[in-house]
Amino acid sequence: MSPGPNKIDLAIIVNGQPTMVEANVNAPLRTVVEKALQQTNTTGQGPDQWELRDASGVELPLDQKIKEFNFVAGVQLFLNLKAGVGG
Amino acid sequence: MAVSYISQAVQHVEPAVSRAKFEKEIADFRALGQAYRRNGWFLLEASFPQALVAMAAPQLSPPALVCGVLVDYTNYDAEPPSVRLVNPFTAEPYLADELPTNLPRALEGQAVELPGMPGALQFQQAQSLMQAYGPKEIPFLCIAGVREYHLHPAHSGDTWELHRAAGAGRLVRLLEVIHTYGIAPIKSYGVNLVPQIGFEIPEPAK
Repeated sequence: MSPGPNKIDLAIIVNGQPTMVEANVNAPLRTVVEKALQQTNTTGQGPDQWELRDASGVELPLDQKIKEFNFVAGVQLFLNLKAGVGG
Repeated sequence: MAVSYISQAVQHVEPAVSRAKFEKEIADFRALGQAYRRNGWFLLEASFPQALVAMAAPQLSPPALVCGVLVDYTNYDAEPPSVRLVNPFTAEPYLADELPTNLPRALEGQAVELPGMPGALQFQQAQSLMQAYGPKEIPFLCIAGVREYHLHPAHSGDTWELHRAAGAGRLVRLLEVIHTYGIAPIKSYGVNLVPQIGFEIPEPAK
């Protein structure tokens, strides 16, 4: 089923586990993070502890609207837990 | 046969459980293996409980094979995995003074005002995510989600259970951290030119 108007399907890879997220293109990218974590039952760390990167490794600003990235439907984005404290 | 160069842990969790979780890590990696290969990640060996991944820097010309990563999933996920940087050709763990990268992470800069100086001086410090007890010891990746981090007495208040559900010990997450701090920042080969001038000592005039 294709998504409705103003919607786009994004393939979010959460720590290596793929999930397809239907996103509103007018919403900030942050909404995709929250949905992907929910869909993969990934809990315990808040959305600010994650970083979303495109296939070339560029970290994406989560407060930017999704339509501004000009994603093609089904694009793979990689969501990984930050290194956090350590060292 | 498993590569067993560093694993010290004894499997006490039901082996079928840890094995199933290990196999899911490997299956998830292989499902997106093409994307990870573009990053320079090559899964060389996967035999429970260990996975050996080679990490290359494709942004260099010619590309460089930087290091291997040996992840040990003994007792996973009742316990976090062990992570070591290893020689990708031999799978032998690097000693601290042999590391090709210590995964430096920039800390927030500090502004220091000095008397008599206009403005403030900015100091930038880096923190190494690879830690060791000495230069001839085997270093470990010191972040939450890694066995050695949670075993360290300094981190007794930050237990594995606080990070397990977020997937902190998942293979791709661990590789991503190593890639972010150890591989992606490599921008070029360093070449040191040492000019040498040769002198021919003339014979003394007769």
